[in-house]
Amino acid sequence: MVMEIVDILEKILILAGMVTLGFAIGMLFNGIARKVSARIQNRVGPPVYQGFIDVFKLFGKKTNISHGWIFDLAALFSVSGIALAFLFLPVAGYSMLSTDGDLFLILYLLAIPALGFALGAGASGNPNAAVGVMRALMSMLAYELPLVMVMVAMMVYYNTTSLANIVAAQANMQWAFFIPIFFIGALVADMALQGMLMEKPFDIPIAPHEIATGPMVEFGGKHLGALMLYKMMGTVVETTLFVDLFLGGGVVLSVAQYGWLAYLVNFAVWFVLILIVFLIAVMIDNVLPRFRIEQALKFYWKYDALIAIFILIWIFAGVKI
Amino acid sequence: MKHEEWKKISRIMSKRSLWMVHFCTGCGAMEMPPVMTSRYDMERFGIFAMATPRQADVFLVTGYLAVKTLKRVVQVYEQMRDPKYVIGFGSCTINGGMYWDSYNTIKDLSKYIPVDVYIAGCMPRPEAIIDSFLKLMDMIDKGEAIGWQKYRKYYDQYKRNQKMAFEYRLDEVKPIKEDDKNES
Amino acid sequence: MKAKELFPDAQELRKGRVRIELDKEQITDALKKLKENGYTHFVMLSCVDWIKEGKFELVYHMWSYEYKEHVMLSVKINRDGEDVVSNRELFPQIETYEREIHEMFGVNFVGNPRLGEFILEGWPHMPPMRKDFDTEKFVKDLYYKIPEVNEE
Repeated sequence: MVMEIVDILEKILILAGMVTLGFAIGMLFNGIARKVSARIQNRVGPPVYQGFIDVFKLFGKKTNISHGWIFDLAALFSVSGIALAFLFLPVAGYSMLSTDGDLFLILYLLAIPALGFALGAGASGNPNAAVGVMRALMSMLAYELPLVMVMVAMMVYYNTTSLANIVAAQANMQWAFFIPIFFIGALVADMALQGMLMEKPFDIPIAPHEIATGPMVEFGGKHLGALMLYKMMGTVVETTLFVDLFLGGGVVLSVAQYGWLAYLVNFAVWFVLILIVFLIAVMIDNVLPRFRIEQALKFYWKYDALIAIFILIWIFAGVKI
Repeated sequence: MKHEEWKKISRIMSKRSLWMVHFCTGCGAMEMPPVMTSRYDMERFGIFAMATPRQADVFLVTGYLAVKTLKRVVQVYEQMRDPKYVIGFGSCTINGGMYWDSYNTIKDLSKYIPVDVYIAGCMPRPEAIIDSFLKLMDMIDKGEAIGWQKYRKYYDQYKRNQKMAFEYRLDEVKPIKEDDKNES
Repeated sequence: MKAKELFPDAQELRKGRVRIELDKEQITDALKKLKENGYTHFVMLSCVDWIKEGKFELVYHMWSYEYKEHVMLSVKINRDGEDVVSNRELFPQIETYEREIHEMFGVNFVGNPRLGEFILEGWPHMPPMRKDFDTEKFVKDLYYKIPEVNEE
């Protein structure tokens, strides 16, 4: 009995620790992205810990403006949704809530925070927010088609829908990235990731110069702080999904063989990998202008989706032969 | 930790992360791009231009304000969340500047909304803008930038002054004048 | 045809700049005549306050791309509320100028339905561009007399 309670407490502690780690890495990534952009633009840029300062400042502001209880809860909804998605992902080969890390479940969980985002924006009643939400849903529709097709190709290839099993199959550096057909798949998914992270050229939903940050236009203070946490955690979740799919999830040492040392090394490798994936996105963000919504749709459905269909056909044919 | 210490930490945090909304209807829109981009780079102090007043901490009012623009300025100011700070940029916000005798521009911004820092000059250099932000940071650190508290405390007086300007007449003051006559 | 040939009493101020003085009844016909003879660009409508004569002078500026010539049609009306016919059917952009002159000088254009509040919002006094409007006194009486916020 006592042992069970201790077990549960330990589990809760680990979960809380992981969520905190996720948020901390997200804030750090925000600072790194701003510093890298600044250096690309030949500026000095803010300190790397600027993300922490911004979030703490936002939570210290007064909430003298609200637009009803849906508006208040929406930000919380987003943050908890993204934290849940993070806990269902295998991070560095270590799954927290589910040992399977089912891909379909994760796709659904990734839609929950976006829904919260849309709810809050709708409750604010600002026309810019409505336009932003429309654009966000449209671009979601656009990038999910090629992404899901590449995922299906991987499911067929590895004969499993479990992300944990895909990660396990890529152990000992047998990364999907090094298989030629999935190298192309990784490029397709990276473009979809660019849309997921809302970096240029696919930052259509945010677009500060056109529609004044779109869905976030009415958010400020603590609400905006929660939304920033959601966006920061979102970068960690989405890059982790990419790393899990194509780069073996950062697993280099087997836990059974090396014990706690393996966890340390794996987490370090995972951190470096998601940082590299994120930095590629940031650098693309810095050199490209913004697409219009129909251009983004055309890009994803005409080029990205075509290549994804080619990969899908290749894999099906390869399995049958 | 005690309440005071929390306040101190939050002051340090808000000092290092000032998000700005700028209102460039007068002049001064030309001075902002160099301050934001690589020449003067204000982001190294954590100052960042935001798109909407809801997200902003600092309100930068540049140049002269017609009565019609003042209405919008007051709206934007009231949309911001506490704590909020105002920087008046250029001579026009101090005493009207070269528009001192124009029939349609207000002369002293601090009569209508509380201003924390003024920048003198026509036009001020980008260095002056950065300097004013550093001054504002200093004031926040010492707890002197309390314009937003003043606006709450003397709300009726600010509203009265705004109404006088919007309607181009001093009707509200008349009772005070009559009192003066009675006394004399 | 050039403006000099259309209007014999036109005076040429210098090369490419012609001034024609008209009565206010002739203005619509003159604009139509010029429009049909190559002066297709209506540049602007301006107003001058001749307070000693008691007149407003409305100046219609026209430009011809063909002859590279700038024609000014000048009409004088009384300051005390004389009506002028609106010419918005000939050139639609005149409507905006008429609204501005109505707001700033108080000239009434008959036939323009949009005369009303334009640039100034809720202006209760005399139109501010008239010469008998004392700007400095107005400013000193209004803006400088608005009280400071008393922090007691």
